[in-house]
Amino acid sequence: MTTIRDEMWKFRGILFNFAITDLKIRYRNSILGVLWSLIEPLLMLGVLFVVFSTMFKFEIPNFPIYLLVGIVCYNFFKNGTSFALNSLTNRSALMTQIYFPRSIPAMSAGITASIMLIFEIVVLAIFIVIFQFAPPITILLLPLVLGLLLVLVLGIALPLSVLNVKYKDTEFIWMIVLSAGFFLTPIFYQFDMMPTQVQNVLQFSPMVQIVTMAHHVVLYGTLPSINTILYAIGSISAITAIGYLIFRKYQAKIVEEV
Amino acid sequence: MSDYAISVKNISKKFKLYHEKRDSIFEVATSFFQKKRHHEILQVLDDVSFNVKHGEIFGIIGINGSGKTTLLRIISRIYAPDSGSVDVKGTVIPILALGLGFHPELTAITNIYQSSILLGFPKEEISKRVDDIIKFAELEKFADTKVKNFSAGMQMRLAFATSVLVNPDILILDEVFAVGDVNFQKKCFDTIMDFKKRGKAIIYVSHDMEGVQKFCDTVMYLKQGKVGMIGSPEETVNAFLASEEKQKQ
Repeated sequence: MTTIRDEMWKFRGILFNFAITDLKIRYRNSILGVLWSLIEPLLMLGVLFVVFSTMFKFEIPNFPIYLLVGIVCYNFFKNGTSFALNSLTNRSALMTQIYFPRSIPAMSAGITASIMLIFEIVVLAIFIVIFQFAPPITILLLPLVLGLLLVLVLGIALPLSVLNVKYKDTEFIWMIVLSAGFFLTPIFYQFDMMPTQVQNVLQFSPMVQIVTMAHHVVLYGTLPSINTILYAIGSISAITAIGYLIFRKYQAKIVEEV
Repeated sequence: MSDYAISVKNISKKFKLYHEKRDSIFEVATSFFQKKRHHEILQVLDDVSFNVKHGEIFGIIGINGSGKTTLLRIISRIYAPDSGSVDVKGTVIPILALGLGFHPELTAITNIYQSSILLGFPKEEISKRVDDIIKFAELEKFADTKVKNFSAGMQMRLAFATSVLVNPDILILDEVFAVGDVNFQKKCFDTIMDFKKRGKAIIYVSHDMEGVQKFCDTVMYLKQGKVGMIGSPEETVNAFLASEEKQKQ
């Protein structure tokens, strides 16, 4: 990993430049611009809140905050990985004319998503005030959870960026994974509402553990169980290691495929 | 250690030439059961070696598909060679073709920043020079225009101005004079001569034989990925033209 880190440091200017220009291009010709990154989670929250608090009547305390924590985490995951998908293909012209490390676009996709995450956390803070929810002191641990999530995002972003150049199917497969993942992650329900067999399988999903940890520190004021922490760190390290190996296998020749 | 600005030793590069490119996993899976090979190996560069001195303009000529662009991309680290080595003294080596990989949705100014940062230039320095770049490219009116609305000549001017003011040690020019009007060509020519005087190495690729003879100190003729000849401009151009004439018959 040291080589990637060294390259990151040397090219940190372009890392942020890519992230900012991505945001600019994303919101070009749109009147509301970057406000869209606030509106999207708010709309999601509204829909899910109406459906699950009036129709299905889930008995989850502080349901709006519970929902929003899950949505914010999942959106970060979705944004980071899906921006990375096309980060190399969008820069095919640039790649064939100036050399830059192939890891930069995927990494800067992570930064773009982090910038949008900050906006969404502001929304979360506003909702905490509106619902007069007194957050426990453990909320200070949320950045640690999100940091771990960032590692996961980058670990998936790197291989996705090269795989999508090589096989166009990657994009379609990943979109399915993302929509399935939204329902298989305890965002609008609690994990223990699931049958035990399903829980046994889903506990290996890093997003399940991340969202559970976020709920713990933001809502319950308790530390996540040691099991949750170990599962999260274990699955994220495994995914990131495999992702890095895939990336390393394809990165040198990927420019010949664009 | 040599005194050369660019030293290319025994570079070879093969490409897989797909006849039906397999882009989807389904196709990969099905072709696994078929014995038929979907690609042939194309030897684009075969044992190419040459050196470029400081202050030298080194021309590369050859017909389309002779491996010129691949060679330039290997020198600028975009492609990795299959074998051989490239030793380059200097940090910055843009390939200057049409544009510098400009993003069509970004304005001229934003693209200047993006390209210069990629070429290893600190942001504060770019801010100081961005006006000069725009002025040199004669694009004062279009600084805030998106590059997608630029003509080919305008993109070329912007690319040339950006890479020149970033002050690279080595300049790689791929058909730069194909677009651009007489005035700007003159300006480019003067700038390149100034670069030469300051001891920078320049690689110049062109199909314009007159320009190559007028311009270059040494010329290499690439023939189907091999070095056909390296020598003085007149001799090499003549050898190239004679060889192509023979091919036709």
